[in-house]
Amino acid sequence: MSVATPALPVPRRWWTARRRGYLLAFLFIAPALVNFLVFRYLPILAALRSSLWQYSLLGGYGTFIGLGAYGRMLEDPIFWTSLRVTALYVLLKVPAQVALSLLFAVLLQRETRFAALVRSAVFAPVVASIVVVSVIWALMYHVQLGLLNSILTSLGLPRIAFLSNPQLALVAIVVMMVWKELGFSMIILMAGLKGIPDMFYEAARIDGASPWQQFRAITLPLLRRVLMFVLVTQTIFSFQVFVPVYTMTRGGPLDATKVIVYYIYQNGFLFQDMGYAAAISMVTLAILLVVSGVQMRLLRSEVEY
Amino acid sequence: MSSGPVAEARAVLPARRGAGTAAFLARWARAAGRDWWWYLTGVVILVLYVTPFAWMILGSLRREVEIFEYTYPLTWRTFVPVEWTLKNFLDVLGLSPEGRAFGLNFGRALAVTAFVSAAVVLSSLVVNTMGAYFFARLDFPRKEALLLVVIATMLIPFEAVMVPLYIVVRALGVQDTVWALVLPWYASPFVIFALVQFFKEIPRELDEAAIIDGASFFGVLRHVIVPNAVPGLVTTALLEFQFIWNLFYWPLIAVGRKELQTIQVAIAQQTTQTQIYWGRIFAGSVLASVPIILLFLLMQRYYVRGVVLSGVKG
Repeated sequence: MSVATPALPVPRRWWTARRRGYLLAFLFIAPALVNFLVFRYLPILAALRSSLWQYSLLGGYGTFIGLGAYGRMLEDPIFWTSLRVTALYVLLKVPAQVALSLLFAVLLQRETRFAALVRSAVFAPVVASIVVVSVIWALMYHVQLGLLNSILTSLGLPRIAFLSNPQLALVAIVVMMVWKELGFSMIILMAGLKGIPDMFYEAARIDGASPWQQFRAITLPLLRRVLMFVLVTQTIFSFQVFVPVYTMTRGGPLDATKVIVYYIYQNGFLFQDMGYAAAISMVTLAILLVVSGVQMRLLRSEVEY
Repeated sequence: MSSGPVAEARAVLPARRGAGTAAFLARWARAAGRDWWWYLTGVVILVLYVTPFAWMILGSLRREVEIFEYTYPLTWRTFVPVEWTLKNFLDVLGLSPEGRAFGLNFGRALAVTAFVSAAVVLSSLVVNTMGAYFFARLDFPRKEALLLVVIATMLIPFEAVMVPLYIVVRALGVQDTVWALVLPWYASPFVIFALVQFFKEIPRELDEAAIIDGASFFGVLRHVIVPNAVPGLVTTALLEFQFIWNLFYWPLIAVGRKELQTIQVAIAQQTTQTQIYWGRIFAGSVLASVPIILLFLLMQRYYVRGVVLSGVKG
């Protein structure tokens, strides 16, 4: 740095009290910044780099293949399957979860002990780990011994192989995940409902509006921003589903539940093809950044409105 | 931001008022008669949410053969054990001969998970509090640009970049050590963001008074900010603890050694064996989830506030 030579008149001035204050201030944010740079941003650079080589954990960097991994992706039917499965998962899960959590939020917003009890019960799976929840549901879905088939057979209905039927496995995972994560969006929507002034409803009641009319004319429009927020964050979150697929189906049957993050895991850690896994990670990152960009735009336009 | 979200969150869970049981029941019956459909829906939701947990907890307290014997037809025996036993817990904790023969040691996995979660909560309390103090109070050129860097970090999809994160952690040479489980999480953009909201509610006059009394930046943080932001700190610590305790994908890939297995990985491993031992899975699941659910029930208010705060950003 330029401080070394005493001949220059600048150095003494350069080290002002204000600069000293800046340096001290910076020390407060520095540890967190180091974490973000090393463990959040650097992985993206590392992935970009390793996606250009044939790269495995055991063999290290092999031959340079340039954009070969991205070209390979275009011709990889399983990659396209995994994208389709992921999109289907998101399209099934997010609307169902948002609609149900809105319903639950409206139903359970009463200030009674019973409502508080039900709210706590709905929120419990949110804090329980996704591993525990999916392992227990895998047992509930079991063909012979599962609780759900026990209920079905007791009602005189045929058994259902929830997780080994390619047509049902993804739906079974969706049902479980909606059950698990509903409480989270319910709490956010509930806070949104609390923010709507009571006088709107009072005025509507005086005008003789039915509960449904009140919901349509007051609740929905005033909740739009919160709803939009829940919708988009849940989309981004659901796009990255991994654990239930790992614990319940391993991507099967017949790739019916092979979501994108599971395919990344498979390539990197089961097929020893880190380079390809990194390339798919980058494409997933790009897709989700676009979704985030859309989110920001939507939310901003909502504010102006 | 104002105190809006916090006040809203507080209102989500009503305060409990004391009342005689008889009066309460009478009131409840009257209310139930008035809108029975609402109570019916509530009961249905309650059953849907309690049943899997009840099945898990009661199943962990019975012998394996008994679980299968009473599966069908569906009676109360499907849930309630005939013979109550702690055998499954002794097995998974490696305290019985069978458990030892299978090499099960969920006690160690629980200890590792508790240690890692506590380490992350402590380091993140220090680092994120300092970071939030920087954004809420300190003077720095182009501070907004730095805030943007932190907020942009939140946009990086988490599970999608686990493999790249592994490449970095491996390059640092800490894979398969306890450092791999702690280092990537010692700071969090979400926690910094949440704490900034809490810190902004503390009046600046308090800082100024302390500075006049000769306090340094650190002194202000320690004697003014931290004591006045305890609810916020508890909230974020709680969310962070639960987040690390429940983490699965990262510990699965970052650590291969059995001694460093977290509880979540240990449970998931039970389902990949050729023969699945239901009782042990139930017992392991109870050990991994019941403590965290109890923690939530005890500190529900803080918890809900944290969730709302993470949802009200924008």
